[in-house]
Amino acid sequence: MANHSDILAQVSTALSARAAAARNEVAAIRLSGGRRLTGTVWRPDLIVTSEQSLPKRDTFDVVLGDGATAEAKLAGRDPGTNVAVLRLSPASSTSAATGNAAAAVGTLALAFGADGMGGASVRLGLVNLVGPEWHSRAGGRIGSRIVLDMQLRPSEEGGPAFNAEGGRLGITTFGPRRQILVIPADTIETVLPSLLQDGRVARGWLGVALQPVAVPDALQPLAGQETGLMALSVAKDGPAAKAGLIQGDVVLAVGGNSARSVRGIVPSLGPDSVGKTATLRVLRGGTLVTLEVTIEARPTQ
Amino acid sequence: MSNAAERLAPNSSLRVFISAPTAARLAALARILVETGHVPVADEAHADVALAAADGRLVLTASGGAGGSLEATADAALIDAAIRAVAAGLVVQMPHAKEPGFHAIEEGEAQKLLTAREIEVLSAIGAGLTNKEIARQLKISLHTVKFHVEAIFRKLDVTTRTGALAKAAQLRLMQTLEL
Repeated sequence: MANHSDILAQVSTALSARAAAARNEVAAIRLSGGRRLTGTVWRPDLIVTSEQSLPKRDTFDVVLGDGATAEAKLAGRDPGTNVAVLRLSPASSTSAATGNAAAAVGTLALAFGADGMGGASVRLGLVNLVGPEWHSRAGGRIGSRIVLDMQLRPSEEGGPAFNAEGGRLGITTFGPRRQILVIPADTIETVLPSLLQDGRVARGWLGVALQPVAVPDALQPLAGQETGLMALSVAKDGPAAKAGLIQGDVVLAVGGNSARSVRGIVPSLGPDSVGKTATLRVLRGGTLVTLEVTIEARPTQ
Repeated sequence: MSNAAERLAPNSSLRVFISAPTAARLAALARILVETGHVPVADEAHADVALAAADGRLVLTASGGAGGSLEATADAALIDAAIRAVAAGLVVQMPHAKEPGFHAIEEGEAQKLLTAREIEVLSAIGAGLTNKEIARQLKISLHTVKFHVEAIFRKLDVTTRTGALAKAAQLRLMQTLEL
C-alpha cells in the first residue's frame, strides 16, 4: 500500500493531478505530414502558440482537451515576440480560467504539450534563469528572459508553462541550441490587442541590413563613439534608400538614439515610429553626413 | 562500445520518424531511410530521431534533445550521416545557415568589432587575393595591409586566413540585422 506520508509520493500525486487537468489548457495544432505543434488555450476562444514554428497558413485543424477537432483561424502573428494567435469558433467549452504569473528563478516549472488525442504530455523542470527584458533579432521586445531546464519534443513547443502554484508563466519556445525559453505571459498580453485588431504588430522599418563595426581610431573624435552600424545592403526603394543612405555608410545615430549597438536604436523603431521622420547621423568616407529618413512600417514577409 | 559510438557506426539501424509537406517528399525521404539501413516509424515518441522537411530545410531532432538541420537538397549520404550524428548526441549544422530558434540580438564586444576597412581587407582575402594583390586593389601599402590582417587575426582570435573567414562569416550571421 502507498505510504501517503511520503513526501515524494505526495509530489507525484500532485503532478499527476496537474497533468490530468492540463488537457484543457493545450490544443494540438495539426501540421502537414503528421507533425503537430502545441497551442496554449489562452482564453476559451484564443489559442496562442510559437510563431517561428507555425506554417504560413490561414486555417488549422486543432484537437482540444475533449478530443474534439475544431477549425482555428489565424488571427495574427508577430515574429518579433514569436507569438501567433488563432481564433477558435465556437470557443472551447472546457478551457479553465487561468491566471498569469511571473517566473521566479529556482522554482519548479511544469510545461505541457498536446498529445494529439486530447490529452497532455508533461515536463517538469526548474526555472533555470530569469533575466531582464531583451530584444529579439526579429525586432520585438520580450519582457524578461526566462529559461527552463528541460527538453521538449518539437510537437510540444508552444504549450503553456506553469509554476507550482498553477500560475501561467507563458508559452514555451525553442531558443538558441534548443534551449527552452518562455515567452512571458505579460509580453503575450501586450501584443495580443494589436494581433487581434490588425493581425500583426506594427514596427518601424528602415530597409537596411546593419552590421556592428568599429569606428577607426582616427575618426573616433569626429564620430564621438567607438562603434557604429555599417549598412551591408540597402533595400531598393526602402526608407533608408529614399533618404540617400548607401552601402558602406556607418550609421552613428537614429533620431537621437546612439547606434553604438543595435539595441540602442531599437527604441527608435517601435510601433509608434511609423510615419515619423528621424535624423540619421552617418559616417561616410571619413566625413559626417546627416540624412532625414521617414520610417515606414516593416513589410510582412 | 558506448551507446553513442554504436549509433555512429555505419551499420547500425535507427528508428526515424519522418514528416514532410507532400506525400512525394515523404516517400522520397522514406526511400533514403530504407536505402541507408534505417527504419521509418509512425510514432514520434518511439523514434530515435525525427526528420522533418519544412521551409526549405531538413530539421533533425533526437529523442535525447540533440538536433540539427540540413539543406533540403542534402543527399542520402549526408542525411544518413546527420541522422547518426544527431542520434549520438551531436549537433549538426549547415556552415552558413542561420541557427534555428528564437534569438536575442547578439552584441559583439566593441574591442572585437572590425572596422569597415578591415571588413574590406577580409573580403579580399575571401576572394583569394594575396597581401600584395590586396594592397594593389585597395591602393594602400603592403605594410598597411599586413597591419590590417594582424588586427583582423587579433580581433577574431584566429591564426590563419581561412580561420578568419570562417569566424567572420559566423559573426556576420549572428550580428547582422535587417531593420
